[in-house]
Amino acid sequence: MNDQLESDLREALRARAAQVPAAVAVRLAHLDYRPRTRRLRPPVAIGAVASTAAAAGILAVIISLGAGASNAFAGWTAKPTKPTPGQLAAAGAACRRSQSSVAGVPLAVADTRGPFTFSVYANSESTISCIQGPSFVALSQSQSSSPVNVPADQVQLASMHRANRHGQAFGFAYGRTGTGVSAVTLGLDDGTKVQATVANGWFIAWWPSSHRLESAELTTPAGSSTQKFDLPSMPGGCNTNKDCPEGGAVQDMNGAGGHAKGESLSSSQ
Amino acid sequence: MNPRRADFERFVADSSDTLLRTAYLIVWDLGEAEDLVQETLLEVARRWPRIRRMERPIAYARRILVNRALSGSARRTRRRQELIAPIRSEPEAAPDRAAEIGVADELMDALAALPPRQRAVLVLRYFLDLPEAEVAAALKCSLGTVKSTASRGLARLERAMRGTNDPRSIPT
Repeated sequence: MNDQLESDLREALRARAAQVPAAVAVRLAHLDYRPRTRRLRPPVAIGAVASTAAAAGILAVIISLGAGASNAFAGWTAKPTKPTPGQLAAAGAACRRSQSSVAGVPLAVADTRGPFTFSVYANSESTISCIQGPSFVALSQSQSSSPVNVPADQVQLASMHRANRHGQAFGFAYGRTGTGVSAVTLGLDDGTKVQATVANGWFIAWWPSSHRLESAELTTPAGSSTQKFDLPSMPGGCNTNKDCPEGGAVQDMNGAGGHAKGESLSSSQ
Repeated sequence: MNPRRADFERFVADSSDTLLRTAYLIVWDLGEAEDLVQETLLEVARRWPRIRRMERPIAYARRILVNRALSGSARRTRRRQELIAPIRSEPEAAPDRAAEIGVADELMDALAALPPRQRAVLVLRYFLDLPEAEVAAALKCSLGTVKSTASRGLARLERAMRGTNDPRSIPT
Protein backbone atom coordinates (compact mmCIF):
# COMPACT_ATOMS: atom_id res chain seq x y z
CA MET A 1 0.00 0.00 0.00
CA ASN A 2 1.51 3.31 -0.94
CA ASP A 3 2.73 5.78 1.62
CA GLN A 4 0.90 8.65 -0.04
CA LEU A 5 -2.46 7.02 0.58
CA GLU A 6 -1.61 6.39 4.21
CA SER A 7 -0.48 9.98 4.59
CA ASP A 8 -3.65 11.26 2.94
CA LEU A 9 -5.71 9.01 5.17
CA ARG A 10 -4.10 10.36 8.33
CA GLU A 11 -4.74 13.89 7.14
CA ALA A 12 -8.35 13.12 6.23
CA LEU A 13 -9.02 11.53 9.59
CA ARG A 14 -7.46 14.43 11.44
CA ALA A 15 -9.52 16.87 9.39
CA ARG A 16 -12.69 14.95 10.03
CA ALA A 17 -11.95 14.70 13.75
CA ALA A 18 -11.33 18.44 13.86
CA GLN A 19 -14.95 18.99 12.86
CA VAL A 20 -16.07 17.92 16.32
CA PRO A 21 -16.82 21.09 18.27
CA ALA A 22 -14.72 21.25 21.42
CA ALA A 23 -17.82 22.23 23.35
CA VAL A 24 -19.33 18.82 22.74
CA ALA A 25 -16.44 17.06 24.40
CA VAL A 26 -16.57 19.52 27.28
CA ARG A 27 -20.27 18.87 27.67
CA LEU A 28 -19.68 15.13 27.71
CA ALA A 29 -16.94 15.50 30.27
CA HIS A 30 -19.30 17.37 32.58
CA LEU A 31 -22.10 14.86 32.58
CA ASP A 32 -22.53 12.82 35.70
CA TYR A 33 -21.24 9.31 35.17
CA ARG A 34 -20.31 8.71 38.76
CA PRO A 35 -20.41 5.13 39.91
CA ARG A 36 -23.00 4.68 42.58
CA THR A 37 -21.45 3.58 45.80
CA ARG A 38 -24.64 2.78 47.67
CA ARG A 39 -27.98 1.30 46.91
CA LEU A 40 -31.17 3.25 46.99
CA ARG A 41 -33.21 2.83 50.09
CA PRO A 42 -34.73 -0.60 50.55
CA PRO A 43 -38.31 -1.11 49.40
CA VAL A 44 -39.62 -1.48 52.94
CA ALA A 45 -38.78 2.11 53.76
CA ILE A 46 -40.98 4.96 52.70
CA GLY A 47 -39.05 6.72 50.04
CA ALA A 48 -37.66 3.72 48.29
CA VAL A 49 -37.60 3.58 44.56
CA ALA A 50 -39.29 0.31 43.73
CA SER A 51 -36.90 -2.46 42.86
CA THR A 52 -37.95 -3.49 39.43
CA ALA A 53 -36.44 -3.77 36.04
CA ALA A 54 -36.99 -0.58 34.16
CA ALA A 55 -36.22 1.16 30.95
CA ALA A 56 -32.86 0.18 29.62
CA GLY A 57 -31.63 3.47 28.38
CA ILE A 58 -32.62 6.78 26.92
CA LEU A 59 -31.62 6.91 23.32
CA ALA A 60 -32.20 10.50 22.48
CA VAL A 61 -33.78 13.66 23.64
CA ILE A 62 -34.50 16.38 21.18
CA ILE A 63 -35.72 19.82 22.00
CA SER A 64 -36.93 22.42 19.64
CA LEU A 65 -37.57 25.89 20.92
CA GLY A 66 -39.24 27.90 18.25
CA ALA A 67 -39.88 31.57 17.85
CA GLY A 68 -40.87 33.25 21.06
CA ALA A 69 -38.82 30.84 23.10
CA SER A 70 -38.42 33.39 25.86
CA ASN A 71 -42.04 32.72 26.71
CA ALA A 72 -41.87 29.10 25.80
CA PHE A 73 -43.47 27.91 29.00
CA ALA A 74 -46.11 30.59 29.47
CA GLY A 75 -49.37 29.04 30.53
CA TRP A 76 -47.87 26.15 32.45
CA THR A 77 -49.77 25.16 35.58
CA ALA A 78 -48.69 23.17 38.60
CA LYS A 79 -51.86 21.13 38.38
CA PRO A 80 -52.98 19.32 35.26
CA THR A 81 -55.73 21.06 33.39
CA LYS A 82 -58.59 19.65 31.42
CA PRO A 83 -57.63 19.36 27.76
CA THR A 84 -59.35 21.68 25.40
CA PRO A 85 -61.30 20.09 22.57
CA GLY A 86 -58.84 18.70 20.09
CA GLN A 87 -55.78 19.38 22.27
CA LEU A 88 -54.79 15.75 22.68
CA ALA A 89 -55.34 14.98 19.02
CA ALA A 90 -53.30 18.00 17.97
CA ALA A 91 -50.49 17.08 20.32
CA GLY A 92 -50.48 13.51 19.05
CA ALA A 93 -50.27 14.70 15.49
CA ALA A 94 -47.41 17.07 16.35
CA CYS A 95 -45.50 14.33 18.10
CA ARG A 96 -45.97 11.97 15.19
CA ARG A 97 -44.78 14.65 12.80
CA SER A 98 -41.68 15.18 14.91
CA GLN A 99 -40.94 11.54 15.34
CA SER A 100 -42.41 9.01 12.99
CA SER A 101 -41.97 6.06 15.33
CA VAL A 102 -44.56 7.55 17.70
CA ALA A 103 -47.18 6.38 15.25
CA GLY A 104 -46.44 2.74 16.00
CA VAL A 105 -46.55 3.03 19.79
CA PRO A 106 -49.80 3.29 21.75
CA LEU A 107 -50.46 6.27 23.99
CA ALA A 108 -50.05 5.23 27.62
CA VAL A 109 -50.91 8.47 29.38
CA ALA A 110 -51.28 12.17 28.58
CA ASP A 111 -50.91 15.19 30.85
CA THR A 112 -52.18 18.62 29.90
CA ARG A 113 -51.17 21.91 31.54
CA GLY A 114 -52.56 24.93 29.81
CA PRO A 115 -51.45 24.77 26.21
CA PHE A 116 -48.93 22.00 26.85
CA THR A 117 -49.46 18.30 26.39
CA PHE A 118 -47.03 15.78 27.81
CA SER A 119 -47.62 12.33 26.37
CA VAL A 120 -45.96 9.02 27.08
CA TYR A 121 -46.21 6.32 24.45
CA ALA A 122 -45.16 2.83 25.44
CA ASN A 123 -45.12 -0.72 24.21
CA SER A 124 -42.95 -3.73 24.94
CA GLU A 125 -40.07 -2.33 22.92
CA SER A 126 -39.85 1.34 23.67
CA THR A 127 -41.13 4.24 25.70
CA ILE A 128 -41.39 7.62 24.03
CA SER A 129 -42.21 10.86 25.79
CA CYS A 130 -43.32 13.96 23.96
CA ILE A 131 -43.98 17.38 25.41
CA GLN A 132 -45.71 19.61 22.92
CA GLY A 133 -46.59 23.26 23.30
CA PRO A 134 -46.92 26.43 21.27
CA SER A 135 -43.17 26.90 20.83
CA PHE A 136 -41.70 23.94 22.56
CA VAL A 137 -41.22 20.33 21.57
CA ALA A 138 -39.30 17.76 23.60
CA LEU A 139 -38.95 14.14 22.64
CA SER A 140 -37.20 11.30 24.32
CA GLN A 141 -37.11 7.63 23.61
CA SER A 142 -35.92 4.77 25.74
CA GLN A 143 -35.48 1.15 25.02
CA SER A 144 -37.95 -1.46 26.10
CA SER A 145 -38.78 -2.10 29.70
CA SER A 146 -38.96 -5.40 31.42
CA PRO A 147 -42.31 -6.20 32.98
CA VAL A 148 -42.80 -3.80 35.84
CA ASN A 149 -43.99 -4.93 39.24
CA VAL A 150 -44.34 -1.88 41.42
CA PRO A 151 -45.47 -2.36 45.04
CA ALA A 152 -49.07 -1.28 45.42
CA ASP A 153 -48.33 1.71 47.61
CA GLN A 154 -45.29 3.03 45.74
CA VAL A 155 -44.24 4.52 42.47
CA GLN A 156 -41.28 3.72 40.31
CA LEU A 157 -39.48 6.61 38.68
CA ALA A 158 -38.50 5.55 35.18
CA SER A 159 -37.01 8.74 33.83
CA MET A 160 -36.23 12.22 35.08
CA HIS A 161 -34.84 15.04 33.06
CA ARG A 162 -33.56 18.54 33.75
CA ALA A 163 -32.00 20.92 31.30
CA ASN A 164 -31.19 24.50 30.65
CA ARG A 165 -31.42 25.48 27.04
CA HIS A 166 -30.65 29.11 26.37
CA GLY A 167 -32.03 30.04 29.76
CA GLN A 168 -35.15 27.95 29.29
CA ALA A 169 -34.91 25.42 32.05
CA PHE A 170 -37.37 22.62 32.42
CA GLY A 171 -37.64 19.18 33.90
CA PHE A 172 -39.88 16.22 33.50
CA ALA A 173 -40.42 12.89 35.15
CA TYR A 174 -42.52 9.86 34.53
CA GLY A 175 -42.83 6.38 35.88
CA ARG A 176 -45.16 3.63 36.94
CA THR A 177 -47.55 3.58 39.86
CA GLY A 178 -48.52 0.76 42.15
CA THR A 179 -52.11 -0.38 41.93
CA GLY A 180 -53.04 1.41 45.16
CA VAL A 181 -51.70 4.82 44.18
CA SER A 182 -54.45 7.18 43.11
CA ALA A 183 -52.65 10.51 43.18
CA VAL A 184 -49.05 11.71 42.97
CA THR A 185 -47.69 15.16 43.74
CA LEU A 186 -44.03 15.68 42.98
CA GLY A 187 -41.90 17.79 45.29
CA LEU A 188 -38.98 19.79 43.93
CA ASP A 189 -36.01 20.94 45.94
CA ASP A 190 -37.27 24.52 46.12
CA GLY A 191 -40.51 23.40 47.69
CA THR A 192 -42.54 23.59 44.51
CA LYS A 193 -45.30 21.01 44.30
CA VAL A 194 -46.27 19.67 40.93
CA GLN A 195 -49.34 17.51 40.74
CA ALA A 196 -48.76 14.64 38.35
CA THR A 197 -51.26 13.09 36.05
CA VAL A 198 -51.95 9.53 37.16
CA ALA A 199 -53.62 7.12 34.79
CA ASN A 200 -53.26 3.63 33.40
CA GLY A 201 -50.55 2.73 35.88
CA TRP A 202 -48.38 5.74 35.00
CA PHE A 203 -47.58 9.10 36.54
CA ILE A 204 -46.17 11.96 34.51
CA ALA A 205 -45.43 15.61 35.11
CA TRP A 206 -43.10 18.37 34.00
CA TRP A 207 -42.10 21.74 35.33
CA PRO A 208 -40.55 24.89 33.85
CA SER A 209 -37.44 25.07 36.00
CA SER A 210 -34.25 23.16 36.60
CA HIS A 211 -35.15 22.40 40.17
CA ARG A 212 -34.44 18.94 41.33
CA LEU A 213 -37.06 16.29 41.91
CA GLU A 214 -36.87 15.20 45.51
CA SER A 215 -40.00 13.37 46.48
CA ALA A 216 -43.53 12.34 45.69
CA GLU A 217 -46.55 12.55 47.91
CA LEU A 218 -48.67 9.51 47.24
CA THR A 219 -52.32 8.99 47.94
CA THR A 220 -53.29 5.40 48.63
CA PRO A 221 -56.24 3.70 50.32
CA ALA A 222 -54.21 3.72 53.53
CA GLY A 223 -53.77 7.48 53.41
CA SER A 224 -50.91 9.55 52.16
CA SER A 225 -47.20 8.91 52.27
CA THR A 226 -44.06 10.52 50.99
CA GLN A 227 -41.65 8.71 48.75
CA LYS A 228 -38.24 10.26 48.41
CA PHE A 229 -36.07 9.88 45.33
CA ASP A 230 -32.39 9.42 45.77
CA LEU A 231 -31.16 10.91 42.54
CA PRO A 232 -27.55 11.65 41.73
CA SER A 233 -26.92 15.35 41.40
CA MET A 234 -25.56 17.07 38.35
CA PRO A 235 -22.02 18.41 38.56
CA GLY A 236 -22.05 21.90 39.91
CA GLY A 237 -25.39 21.63 41.54
CA CYS A 238 -27.87 22.32 38.78
CA ASN A 239 -30.27 23.79 41.28
CA THR A 240 -30.84 27.03 39.47
CA ASN A 241 -31.24 27.92 35.86
CA LYS A 242 -27.85 29.54 35.97
CA ASP A 243 -26.12 26.57 37.51
CA CYS A 244 -27.76 23.86 35.49
CA PRO A 245 -25.30 22.94 32.76
CA GLU A 246 -26.19 23.87 29.25
CA GLY A 247 -27.16 20.70 27.48
CA GLY A 248 -28.84 19.07 30.42
CA ALA A 249 -29.06 15.42 31.12
CA VAL A 250 -31.47 12.60 31.32
CA GLN A 251 -31.42 10.44 34.35
CA ASP A 252 -32.77 7.08 33.46
CA MET A 253 -33.52 5.25 36.66
CA ASN A 254 -33.07 1.55 36.99
CA GLY A 255 -34.63 1.15 40.38
CA ALA A 256 -32.67 0.06 43.42
CA GLY A 257 -29.00 -0.27 42.74
CA GLY A 258 -29.50 1.21 39.32
CA HIS A 259 -27.61 4.01 37.75
CA ALA A 260 -28.35 7.37 36.34
CA LYS A 261 -27.65 7.87 32.71
CA GLY A 262 -26.45 11.17 31.39
CA GLU A 263 -27.51 12.21 27.96
CA SER A 264 -26.78 15.33 26.05
CA LEU A 265 -29.46 17.18 24.19
CA SER A 266 -29.76 18.28 20.65
CA SER A 267 -31.60 21.46 20.04
CA SER A 268 -32.57 23.85 17.38
CA GLN A 269 -34.30 27.17 17.32
CA MET B 1 -13.89 13.86 47.14
CA ASN B 2 -12.82 10.27 47.59
CA PRO B 3 -9.80 9.09 45.58
CA ARG B 4 -11.78 6.65 43.47
CA ARG B 5 -14.22 9.30 42.35
CA ALA B 6 -11.40 11.74 41.75
CA ASP B 7 -9.63 9.16 39.60
CA PHE B 8 -12.74 8.58 37.58
CA GLU B 9 -13.42 12.25 37.02
CA ARG B 10 -9.83 12.74 35.94
CA PHE B 11 -10.19 9.83 33.55
CA VAL B 12 -13.34 11.33 32.05
CA ALA B 13 -11.69 14.71 31.68
CA ASP B 14 -8.64 13.21 30.04
CA SER B 15 -10.33 10.72 27.77
CA SER B 16 -13.67 12.10 26.66
CA ASP B 17 -12.29 14.25 23.86
CA THR B 18 -10.30 11.43 22.28
CA LEU B 19 -13.11 8.96 22.76
CA LEU B 20 -15.56 11.35 21.15
CA ARG B 21 -13.39 12.02 18.13
CA THR B 22 -12.64 8.34 17.74
CA ALA B 23 -16.30 7.48 17.95
CA TYR B 24 -17.15 10.22 15.48
CA LEU B 25 -14.71 8.81 12.95
CA ILE B 26 -16.00 5.29 13.36
CA VAL B 27 -19.73 5.96 13.24
CA TRP B 28 -19.41 9.12 11.10
CA ASP B 29 -22.19 10.89 12.99
CA LEU B 30 -21.72 13.31 15.85
CA GLY B 31 -24.94 12.57 17.65
CA GLU B 32 -24.34 8.87 17.53
CA ALA B 33 -20.77 9.43 18.66
CA GLU B 34 -22.03 11.35 21.68
CA ASP B 35 -24.34 8.50 22.55
CA LEU B 36 -21.51 6.04 22.26
CA VAL B 37 -19.17 7.99 24.48
CA GLN B 38 -21.83 8.39 27.13
CA GLU B 39 -22.67 4.71 27.03
CA THR B 40 -18.99 3.88 27.21
CA LEU B 41 -18.31 6.16 30.15
CA LEU B 42 -21.34 4.87 31.98
CA GLU B 43 -20.09 1.34 31.57
CA VAL B 44 -16.63 2.38 32.66
CA ALA B 45 -18.17 4.08 35.68
CA ARG B 46 -19.98 0.93 36.69
CA ARG B 47 -16.75 -1.07 36.49
CA TRP B 48 -14.43 1.66 37.68
CA PRO B 49 -13.25 -0.05 40.87
CA ARG B 50 -11.75 -2.75 38.67
CA ILE B 51 -10.81 -0.64 35.68
CA ARG B 52 -8.92 1.94 37.72
CA ARG B 53 -6.45 -0.74 38.72
CA MET B 54 -5.65 -1.51 35.11
CA GLU B 55 -2.44 -0.26 33.63
CA ARG B 56 -4.26 1.58 30.83
CA PRO B 57 -7.94 2.20 31.52
CA ILE B 58 -8.24 4.07 28.23
CA ALA B 59 -7.56 0.85 26.33
CA TYR B 60 -10.45 -0.82 28.10
CA ALA B 61 -12.72 2.14 27.45
CA ARG B 62 -11.71 2.14 23.81
CA ARG B 63 -12.61 -1.53 23.53
CA ILE B 64 -16.07 -0.85 24.98
CA LEU B 65 -16.52 2.05 22.61
CA VAL B 66 -15.49 0.15 19.51
CA ASN B 67 -17.58 -2.88 20.36
CA ARG B 68 -20.63 -0.76 20.99
CA ALA B 69 -20.03 1.17 17.81
CA LEU B 70 -19.81 -1.97 15.73
CA SER B 71 -22.56 -3.94 17.43
CA GLY B 72 -25.17 -1.22 17.51
CA SER B 73 -24.26 0.97 14.60
CA ALA B 74 -27.09 0.06 12.28
CA ARG B 75 -29.75 0.13 14.95
CA ARG B 76 -28.64 3.46 16.36
CA THR B 77 -28.31 5.02 12.96
CA ARG B 78 -31.81 4.04 11.97
CA ARG B 79 -33.27 5.28 15.21
CA ARG B 80 -31.34 8.55 15.25
CA GLN B 81 -32.35 9.34 11.72
CA GLU B 82 -35.94 8.82 12.68
CA LEU B 83 -35.55 11.08 15.66
CA ILE B 84 -33.47 13.87 14.33
CA ALA B 85 -34.43 14.30 10.74
CA PRO B 86 -37.85 15.83 11.30
CA ILE B 87 -36.90 18.68 13.62
CA ARG B 88 -33.21 19.40 13.55
CA SER B 89 -32.68 22.44 11.42
CA GLU B 90 -28.93 22.80 11.65
CA PRO B 91 -26.18 20.23 11.93
CA GLU B 92 -24.44 20.36 15.28
CA ALA B 93 -21.09 19.64 13.72
CA ALA B 94 -19.09 22.38 12.14
CA PRO B 95 -19.37 22.70 8.39
CA ASP B 96 -17.35 20.24 6.39
CA ARG B 97 -13.95 21.82 6.01
CA ALA B 98 -12.46 19.12 3.86
CA ALA B 99 -12.14 21.34 0.85
CA GLU B 100 -10.53 24.13 2.85
CA ILE B 101 -7.76 21.96 4.12
CA GLY B 102 -7.08 20.24 0.87
CA VAL B 103 -8.25 16.75 1.66
CA ALA B 104 -9.77 15.09 -1.36
CA ASP B 105 -13.51 14.82 -1.26
CA GLU B 106 -13.15 11.41 -2.78
CA LEU B 107 -11.22 10.18 0.23
CA MET B 108 -13.79 11.55 2.66
CA ASP B 109 -16.57 9.97 0.65
CA ALA B 110 -14.70 6.72 0.48
CA LEU B 111 -14.11 6.75 4.23
CA ALA B 112 -17.78 7.39 4.84
CA ALA B 113 -18.69 4.50 2.58
CA LEU B 114 -16.43 1.96 4.25
CA PRO B 115 -18.06 -0.77 6.31
CA PRO B 116 -17.87 0.28 9.99
CA ARG B 117 -15.44 -2.47 10.89
CA GLN B 118 -12.98 -1.50 8.18
CA ARG B 119 -13.29 2.14 9.14
CA ALA B 120 -12.78 1.27 12.79
CA VAL B 121 -9.55 -0.53 12.01
CA LEU B 122 -8.28 2.38 9.94
CA VAL B 123 -9.28 4.91 12.58
CA LEU B 124 -7.50 3.03 15.33
CA ARG B 125 -4.48 2.46 13.14
CA TYR B 126 -4.14 5.80 11.37
CA PHE B 127 -5.89 8.31 13.64
CA LEU B 128 -4.87 6.98 17.03
CA ASP B 129 -1.68 5.45 15.62
CA LEU B 130 -2.20 2.31 17.63
CA PRO B 131 0.02 -0.68 16.97
CA GLU B 132 -1.75 -3.51 15.21
CA ALA B 133 -1.71 -5.56 18.41
CA GLU B 134 -3.64 -2.85 20.25
CA VAL B 135 -6.08 -2.58 17.39
CA ALA B 136 -6.63 -6.31 17.66
CA ALA B 137 -7.21 -5.99 21.39
CA ALA B 138 -9.71 -3.19 20.89
CA LEU B 139 -11.61 -5.20 18.31
CA LYS B 140 -11.19 -8.48 20.16
CA CYS B 141 -9.87 -10.17 17.05
CA SER B 142 -6.61 -11.64 15.82
CA LEU B 143 -3.64 -9.74 14.50
CA GLY B 144 -4.19 -11.36 11.14
CA THR B 145 -7.74 -10.12 11.02
CA VAL B 146 -6.57 -6.60 11.73
CA LYS B 147 -4.02 -6.78 8.95
CA SER B 148 -6.43 -8.18 6.41
CA THR B 149 -9.21 -5.77 7.37
CA ALA B 150 -6.88 -2.81 7.16
CA SER B 151 -5.60 -4.01 3.83
CA ARG B 152 -9.10 -4.33 2.43
CA GLY B 153 -10.04 -0.92 3.76
CA LEU B 154 -7.01 0.75 2.26
CA ALA B 155 -7.65 -1.03 -1.00
CA ARG B 156 -11.15 0.36 -1.13
CA LEU B 157 -9.86 3.82 -0.43
CA GLU B 158 -7.24 3.48 -3.10
CA ARG B 159 -9.84 2.33 -5.56
CA ALA B 160 -11.98 5.31 -4.74
CA MET B 161 -9.06 7.69 -5.10
CA ARG B 162 -8.25 6.23 -8.48
CA GLY B 163 -11.83 6.64 -9.46
CA THR B 164 -12.28 3.10 -10.65
CA ASN B 165 -14.73 0.45 -9.66
CA ASP B 166 -12.81 -2.30 -11.33
CA PRO B 167 -12.25 -4.87 -8.59
CA ARG B 168 -9.46 -6.47 -10.59
CA SER B 169 -7.31 -3.44 -9.90
CA ILE B 170 -7.55 -3.76 -6.16
CA PRO B 171 -4.52 -5.14 -4.38
CA THR B 172 -5.53 -7.40 -1.53
